[in-house]
Amino acid sequence: MICRFNYRHMANTLSLYRTVKRLGIPDERIILMLADDMACNPRNNYPAQVFNNENHQLNLYGDNVEVDYRGYEVTVENFLRVLTGRHESAVPRSKRLLSDEGSHILLYMTGHGGDEFLKFQDNEELQSHDLADAVKQMKEKHRFKELLIMVDTCQAATLFSQLQSPGVLAIGSSMKGENSYSHHLDSDIGVSVVDRFTFHTLAFFEKLNMYSNASLNSLFNSYDPSMLLSTAYYRMDLYKRALNEVPVTNFFGSVMKTIHTDSAYTGFLAAHDAELPLSVGNNILDHVMLQNEASARRSNIEEMNVSFSKFCISFI
Amino acid sequence: AAAEEFTEELLLRPLPDRKALAHFHFRSSAPPASAAGRHHHLFPKAISQLVQKFHISELELSFTQGRWNYEQWGGYDPMSTNNAKPPGVELWAIFDLPLAEIDATWKNLTHTLSGLFCASINFLESSTAFSAPRWGFKLNEGNLRYGALPREAVCTENLTPWLKLLPCRDKAGIASLLYRPSVYKGYYHSQKLKLKSSQSLGIILDQTLTVVLQPNTVSGKQLHSTGGQLQPSWSMEHLFSKKLSGKCLVSKSSRVFVEIEKGIVDNVDKAGSDVSSNNDLFVLSTAPDRSLKELDNLEVQSSSLYEYDVNNYNSDKPLNVGITWKLPLIWSCTRAPYHASRFLMGSGNERGSIAMSFLSTGLDKQLVDSSNDCSIKAVVFQVVPWYVKVYYHSLEVFIDGNSKAISEVVDKIHVTPSEDKLLPGTMEMLLKFPCSMQLATLTLDFDKGFLHIDEYPPDANQGFDIPSALVSFPEFNSSRSYPEADPLFVSPLLENFKEDGVVKSYTEVLLVPLTTPDFSMPYNVITFTCTVLALYFGSLLNALRRRIGEEERGLKKAADKRGLIPLLIAKLRGQKVDPSESESTSPASLPRSKLLLKVVFVAVVAIVFHYLSNS
Repeated sequence: MICRFNYRHMANTLSLYRTVKRLGIPDERIILMLADDMACNPRNNYPAQVFNNENHQLNLYGDNVEVDYRGYEVTVENFLRVLTGRHESAVPRSKRLLSDEGSHILLYMTGHGGDEFLKFQDNEELQSHDLADAVKQMKEKHRFKELLIMVDTCQAATLFSQLQSPGVLAIGSSMKGENSYSHHLDSDIGVSVVDRFTFHTLAFFEKLNMYSNASLNSLFNSYDPSMLLSTAYYRMDLYKRALNEVPVTNFFGSVMKTIHTDSAYTGFLAAHDAELPLSVGNNILDHVMLQNEASARRSNIEEMNVSFSKFCISFI
Repeated sequence: AAAEEFTEELLLRPLPDRKALAHFHFRSSAPPASAAGRHHHLFPKAISQLVQKFHISELELSFTQGRWNYEQWGGYDPMSTNNAKPPGVELWAIFDLPLAEIDATWKNLTHTLSGLFCASINFLESSTAFSAPRWGFKLNEGNLRYGALPREAVCTENLTPWLKLLPCRDKAGIASLLYRPSVYKGYYHSQKLKLKSSQSLGIILDQTLTVVLQPNTVSGKQLHSTGGQLQPSWSMEHLFSKKLSGKCLVSKSSRVFVEIEKGIVDNVDKAGSDVSSNNDLFVLSTAPDRSLKELDNLEVQSSSLYEYDVNNYNSDKPLNVGITWKLPLIWSCTRAPYHASRFLMGSGNERGSIAMSFLSTGLDKQLVDSSNDCSIKAVVFQVVPWYVKVYYHSLEVFIDGNSKAISEVVDKIHVTPSEDKLLPGTMEMLLKFPCSMQLATLTLDFDKGFLHIDEYPPDANQGFDIPSALVSFPEFNSSRSYPEADPLFVSPLLENFKEDGVVKSYTEVLLVPLTTPDFSMPYNVITFTCTVLALYFGSLLNALRRRIGEEERGLKKAADKRGLIPLLIAKLRGQKVDPSESESTSPASLPRSKLLLKVVFVAVVAIVFHYLSNS
């Protein structure tokens, strides 16, 4: 498919991919689906480079991008298989969503959409009740604890209107009957390079680093309808926690809190109290605490709180 | 070798059409598993697990974008023989398994590779996508499988995991030169992974990346070679926007070679100077550490290699190899005996023909083999998808315009005909051309098949690809010998050059337009059908159930009876209740009054029903 107007959708997805990698989520935890090859397309004047701004300062494609599903593999069937985990046995691990009941998943979708559907390639569509059914299956199979769905298409809010599973938060760039618009046109490349909703999302995240505790509430409130030219609508009726208590890194980043000490590592020889309690905290996945105390020498405590978020980016 | 080893090499070569070729070669080797166990410190574990799980004895996977220009860049040397690959993805593998298990293992292998290299190699899993040639591709006993995807895009996401297999990745050593925009801006780039595994030697993994670039030098504005113009002078910095600041520390050796081909060497000899790095025609920017002469089988110097050992350079003194031309020069690269090309004939959506042409390039076989009954052998291997139904009996051969009998030209032919939706059509042919021939053409007729609507890709109107055919010349060997080289000088790149290799070339990919259905028809059909059904059932029900006059009267009665409660209220208030005006019955006849009673009865029932349904 050599459709020019998909460039900004690639740029949207890659911008978010880059943001999320910057905030700490590694490639193994990201499933990236790009429906068309823009970066190395013969019509792209800047090979292996994708920009989301006409100043061309940032090459989103970078040096280390890993795309899991691309081209003709981006189909509704594969998307639903990724969500529900029902793959053929030969499908490799890097193409599966390996989440469990403690995972926080971010699902970002962008492309062309309409009332209760999202267009895939040129011959298929994903409907809102398909998505709701897949999420319901995921919930029954304990494949997530919290799920954030972000949709940047026309009439985006209709795509998650049928959701009923608890623990799901969804935000769309426009409401029913509204279009979502692109941000600006790059006259060098010849197409629009980013959409407004994603542009403002990125503007919010560019100010953050891994340790910021900006809350989801501030993210959702940062969308200004006059700048977006559409109303960013979110539904939080299925989500139990208050949005001002949830940090954005819950979904968009992976925070590793390490305490750096200058003292030398004494090893297990001196330790006697090595316990590995698995915390049964409600909010954190894979919380592992390792306590290691030396008896006679200087105490050497290492504490690692690891909270992993997994997420999946999908692009049409 | 009892330990794991890693070597990295880069070869640079100026090309006659003002471009430059850069060939990166990385070799990792692991000793046999029985000796070293499962732990690796240099060799990528993903590859050794792949080899063990799928029992692979040989595998080659290449990702290519662009077409190798055989006329300008050569077709006879080891570089074009080994590294000129068909566009898209090409995968072949030889398995060490019983024949019955190979297809299932191939399927799992394609899925694993698709996850490893971020490409849709899993499309090769079904039997419609791969074939099992016996001798047309490589002589084997039936355990070879070959598949190609001509339309697969190649971009940074394929290079990223490929680089992650290297011990230093792209952070140090020669791989740090890979500036992605430069690589993907080239005219041809092909990344290849080749592995050989055996019980005695362990696993040898060769990763090569071949790029043909246009050096961005100020003087290199012209893109085509014109007589009298100086060739562009370039250096590594012009090609990759960086210099080489040291080797990968775990590599056993790290070298940069500059290859000066036979064509240039001949010109230098003619100009009278000796072939050194600084002569009348060109000068290399840095003095090489070693120079190697290739001698052909007449003991005449053919090409030259200048070697730089990256060990001698570091970040304070980076290596920036370059060539500066002093005099304008035109040369040409040695080509394969025939230039093989393929094209489609015919028009319309029902049938067509595939034509393959062999144009003699003037390579004199007398140099290679002098015998009276001179003929040149060519092996053709072609896989055609099932929806292009080739009629193999319609094969015709024309030599220099004259039609020839098949038995005169075709020595051996093996065809696996295609089966609809099951198998592609595979053809392996051994042809014998007379040495004096200028042009040979083969034609094959085909019918275009029909696909099920689900089998069409989203962009069906672009057409469908027939993968490249492979033409090899078994009597011509592309190996090189460097007899004067120091025996202690071990370079995997030179070893590959010295290996016996049959000269081969790939033809173009063909794009066949097939009949496509009108994809909007299902929607149209549903709309039309539903409209027709609605009209039919609507009219039918109307005709069966509707009584026009009675309905009107019933409705009027119901409308005039205002309901009991308002009636009572009106009566209580002493208002006059208007009699129904709709009763326009004539006072006299009895049947008329019976009708009147029936109407009143229906009206009362209607009112009661109205009340019951509203409460």
